[in-house]
Amino acid sequence: MFKELNPLLHSELRLAIMSILLSVEEADFVYLKEKTKSTSGNLSVQIDKLSEAGYIDVERGFVGKRTRTVCKITPIGVKAFEEYVESLKGYLNL
Amino acid sequence: MEEKKLSEKESLELIAQMIRNTQQKLERGNGIPFLIWGYTTVAVSVLVWYLFSSTGNPYWNFLWFLIPVIGFPTMMWNIRKQEKGIKTYIDKVISYVWIAFGVAGIVVSTSAMFIWTLPILFIVVLLMSVGTAITGLVIQFKPIIFSGFAGMLLSYLCLLVKGYEVILVFALIFLVMMVIPGHILNWKGRKK
Repeated sequence: MFKELNPLLHSELRLAIMSILLSVEEADFVYLKEKTKSTSGNLSVQIDKLSEAGYIDVERGFVGKRTRTVCKITPIGVKAFEEYVESLKGYLNL
Repeated sequence: MEEKKLSEKESLELIAQMIRNTQQKLERGNGIPFLIWGYTTVAVSVLVWYLFSSTGNPYWNFLWFLIPVIGFPTMMWNIRKQEKGIKTYIDKVISYVWIAFGVAGIVVSTSAMFIWTLPILFIVVLLMSVGTAITGLVIQFKPIIFSGFAGMLLSYLCLLVKGYEVILVFALIFLVMMVIPGHILNWKGRKK
């Protein structure tokens, strides 16, 4: 029997955010927006969802006068991502 | 990108594509830290050599502390200016390597100035050349790897050359070890 895919990760934008954060130490909002080609509003909503689940840490700070939001994947996020990929493998017979 | 459901195959492709997108490429400005520390060290060395050799006054050696005084704020300014939106694991490793070697350099220089007599120019070149070689190996950039190992060998010149001229040798080594490869790294980044 197939394991159910984590609905929080099985969505295009959230999965893209998590994939980026998995391969870097940290990324800011502008970088994530550029790489995922998403709108600020949508990206902000999805970041909040991932943060509420404890998958990512979000730090809001300032660089000079500009605000800067920096996101970082958490150990819970890494584990959830690994489980998600394991489930995917089951579906794809890998 | 919208919040749409994906097929399993699309999910896997998306993960691979996003990870590929984050792979750090050689970029314009990568060589700037080498240029900041390289040019600062060369300039301060020439200044110390000129003042020390023409007056014989050892107090001019305190001017060596101009290197961190100029280098650190310039580095901070450069980090802010070159904000690229991400910090990779490679960035983290390189910054830790240089924090460790930087602290070692400052501790040993301060000890040499106030406590013991040490072959300080030799030790500083050796420390910085090891840091350079590690950086080159981590970013896999041959001119930096080569200059790091060349610096290790050239450091012995600081033991062999005597008198005021050893300061000029020290400056020359930093020119070869940091300034030249820093320019090559920038040039390669610009070309990409």
